[in-house]
Order: sequence, then structure tokens, then C-alpha cells
Amino acid sequence: MDGAVGAVAAVAAPPSSEPPQPLPDLDTEGFWQATARGELALCRCHDCLLWVQPPLERCPSCAGPTSFQPVSGIGRVFSFIVVRHPAVSGFEHELPMVVAIVELEEQVGLRLTSRIVGPLEEVEIGSRVVAELVALPGGDFHAPVFRPT
Amino acid sequence: MARTGCAITGIGRTTFTRRSGRTTLAMAAEACRAAVADAGLTMPDVDGMIAFQAGDSVGPLSVSRAVGIPELAWNIDVLGGGNVVANIVATAGAAIDAGLCRAVLVYRSLNGRSGYRFGTSTSRQQVGGEMQFDAPHGYLVPPQWIAMWARRHQHEYGSTCDDLGQIAITQRTHATANEHAINRSPLSLDEYRAGRWINEPFRIYDCAYEIDGAVAILVVGPELAESCAVAPAWLIGSADSQSGDGWTQWDDPTSMYSRHAAPRLWNRTGLSAAEIDVACMYDCFTYTVMATIEDFGFCAKGGVGEYFSSGRATYGGDVVVNPHGGLLSEGYIHGLNHYFEAALQLQGRAGERQVPDARRALVTAGAGPYGGATVLSADRP
Ligand SMILES: [Zn+2]
Repeated sequence: MDGAVGAVAAVAAPPSSEPPQPLPDLDTEGFWQATARGELALCRCHDCLLWVQPPLERCPSCAGPTSFQPVSGIGRVFSFIVVRHPAVSGFEHELPMVVAIVELEEQVGLRLTSRIVGPLEEVEIGSRVVAELVALPGGDFHAPVFRPT
Repeated sequence: MARTGCAITGIGRTTFTRRSGRTTLAMAAEACRAAVADAGLTMPDVDGMIAFQAGDSVGPLSVSRAVGIPELAWNIDVLGGGNVVANIVATAGAAIDAGLCRAVLVYRSLNGRSGYRFGTSTSRQQVGGEMQFDAPHGYLVPPQWIAMWARRHQHEYGSTCDDLGQIAITQRTHATANEHAINRSPLSLDEYRAGRWINEPFRIYDCAYEIDGAVAILVVGPELAESCAVAPAWLIGSADSQSGDGWTQWDDPTSMYSRHAAPRLWNRTGLSAAEIDVACMYDCFTYTVMATIEDFGFCAKGGVGEYFSSGRATYGGDVVVNPHGGLLSEGYIHGLNHYFEAALQLQGRAGERQVPDARRALVTAGAGPYGGATVLSADRP
């Protein structure tokens, strides 16, 4: 009966010790194809040159076509947390870890949320960081992390 | 106008526990029966239902059967969290105004501690959509997102963890007078500071206390409201704001949805923060209270710690914030317990924790880019 009224089944999978994996779709797969090549590339509008993250098939500003273009990977820490409670599977042995919103130099407001690697005490809002790509355990994906420079 | 002619009358709930040992259906049915009985009505008077869930509750058709309503003239089951509560209450009123039904049960039932927990993510192995970029970094749960926003507020306005602590302490003090609250022991600043870190800058006391339970409120039209057994808490205004910018791209995390919803609400009602007696502020985390208190205009940016520590947010101050203890101390029924408390206060039935001469209540619901708010009044508009 619940299915008929639009509800979804409660999730009851067993806890996992592997980190969650991305599930790419037609709009996002270019990001993951780039990281597999060792490149950080983000969605950009051909017509007005706006960077668009998360990616879209068309530019939200001018509706122009988009494609994935390389970025420098250089940015600054916009905000950060120190994760100490193992709320998400796959990181139990990594704690404490720093997760930050990084604003990339290409565009005001162009941000990625990622782990910060290196000495935790060096992380502050405004810290300059640079991306590197790491293999994500438990699958075939590579993801960007950031290191203070 | 976002004003309906409707009111909350009857209210109902189960006990709040750490392990209910019951189905969400059984609890929803108990809360709904209690709300209808409280109003002095019977089940045949009810012809509408609306609820919200995140795959962790039970739909209106199951609940209507459980309480003996043979069919519903109107029902909606919304997939969503605390951010949708103000909207579904307003929608219930709008459905009545539109003549689609005449009495609507709004409920929320969850085994939020013994069942699916919002603060953890142990089962999502593959994450699609916009969150696929956060998934590889384990950035998937609200105590991370909102701690991230709190840090930015600390950076820009110099707010501190102690400021957040003042919110937790005030609300816990309120909960000591609430026998329904799950956490009733007073909290000192030293205890707050000694609380274990969850995600810095959040400690355990900054987080809502997840529990099992259900709450139901009955929304009815004006004629029925005047004939109910309890005084109506009139729905005199509602406003929502939901943004697709999400937790990473939202431009300014020192404000929340309320930077849009608050002016919209005050404009629609002609009211301001100064005219509110009771403020049930959605408090999934302390920082949600901080950002929304500022956005609704109770105090200036960066002033919330002082606002709480100096007594302006409690009895004898400007406004009583979360007299029931809120989600932090009464427990996390996903914000619908805030509507229960607001109605109870306006009806003058809050007992030991009654806010003197409570005439108007603000209820907020949601956090970050997603939320809404309602103004309730003891006086018919
Ligand atoms: Zn464009």
C-alpha cells in the first residue's frame, strides 16, 4: 500500500566498512572519467564560460551546452570541520579527519567539499590548498583531496 | 496572503523513548487518536491527512485504516525532513480553505533512535545525484553539514562554541520542567565543554537527541475550530524558502533559508520578532537556532550567545525559545513536536512551563537552504 502512495521502503542494509561510492549519471560521468585519467575537470558552459558544479547538461544561466574542462585545483578553505564521530561507514580508521569546503580560484562560489590531507593543525579558513587525486577504496573511482600549500 | 482561516485544535503524541518496541504505524495511530480526542471530535469528523517521512514512517492510508477512517477526501505523503513541516501545515490549511476537506490530521511517526538514524549513514553504498561528490569524503549527514556552516559563522562574526553552548543550556533548563522530555538534567557550561566532539565545532550537546515516538496535530476550518473542546491556535501566516544550492554551493552559510522566509513571513503577517511570545525554533543543531534567530530578527548577527546567556531567550526575557526543551532536549520528532508545544502554550495548557500570557508563537522548521515557518495566534484573525 505504501508503494502506491509514493513512499519508499526503509533501508535496512548491514553496516559497511568501505566508503560510499559515487553513482555517476550522464551529467556527472565526465567528472569521474577525468579523475580516472588523473585530471580534475569541472563542468563549464561553452557560451558564457560559467563553471557549473554540480554538473548539468545545460548551463543554468544561459542554457548553453557544457563540457568538462580542466581546473587548476588551487583554492582556499571556505570552511572546515574536524570529523571525530564515525557516522559514515568507511572512515572509522581515518578519524579524526578534516573535511573542508574548498573554493576554487577559477570562480567565486565554485566549490568542492573534500578531505584535507596533511597536518591537520595547518588548516584554517583561508588556507591555500591544492588538489591531488587519490584512489577511493572499495571501487574503481578516484577522488580529489586537497593539501595545504 | 499566506493566511488561512484554519487553526490547530487537538494535539496528540506518544511517549518519547529510546526504544519504542512498536511500529511507526502503531505510534502514528496512537498520536492521531489522541489529537482527535483532544479536540473533542470523533474519527468520522476527520477527512484529510498529511504526513512526511524519509522512508522511515508510514503513509496516511495505513494510518487512516488503523484509526478507523474508512476513506479520506484528501491526503498527501511528502518525502522530506524537517524542512517540509511548515509547508505541510500550511498546505493542510490551504486544502481546507479550498474546500477539499474539513479536518486534517498532520502527523510524524519515527523510530528515530532504534530504527533509521538521521545522523548516520551506514547503508548507502552508492550515492547518486548531487551528493555523489561528497560521498567519497564521507560528507553525507546533517551533523557534518551544519557544523561546517557554524564554523563559517564563527569565522565571520566571531561567534564561539560557548555561544552555541548557551543555547543548549537554556533549552535544557526549559526541559527540566517538561516531564515528556527525554533529557531533563540541567546542563552546565563546564559539562557542555566536556561533551565529546562529534564534528568540530559541534559537540554531542549541539545535536538533537534522536528518539522514537509520534506527534499528531489536527488542523480544522474556522467553524469547526470554534466548536472544538480546546481553544484554537490560529494559523495566521506561513512562509517557506527552499533552495537548490545545497550545502556546499549556498553562498553564505552564516544565514539559512530564513534569510528569505523571515522577511516573507513578517511581510505577510505585518508582525515582527518583537511581537512573538513563544519561539519554537527548529533545533536539529544549536547552530540552526543561532542562524535562524538572527535571520528572524530577534537579535543582531553575532549576538546570539549574549542573547541567551543574558536571559533574553527565556522566561522574563524577550521571548521564550523552545520552552519544551526543543529537539535538543525534548527529543527529535522531526520538528512536529514544535507545533505541539506552540499550540499547548497558546492554549494555556503548558502547566509548569507555561509562558505567561502567550498570545503569539513562531514555529520554524528546517535548516540550511531548506525550511519554512508559521505564526500561530491565540486570537482569531
Ligand atoms: Zn552559460
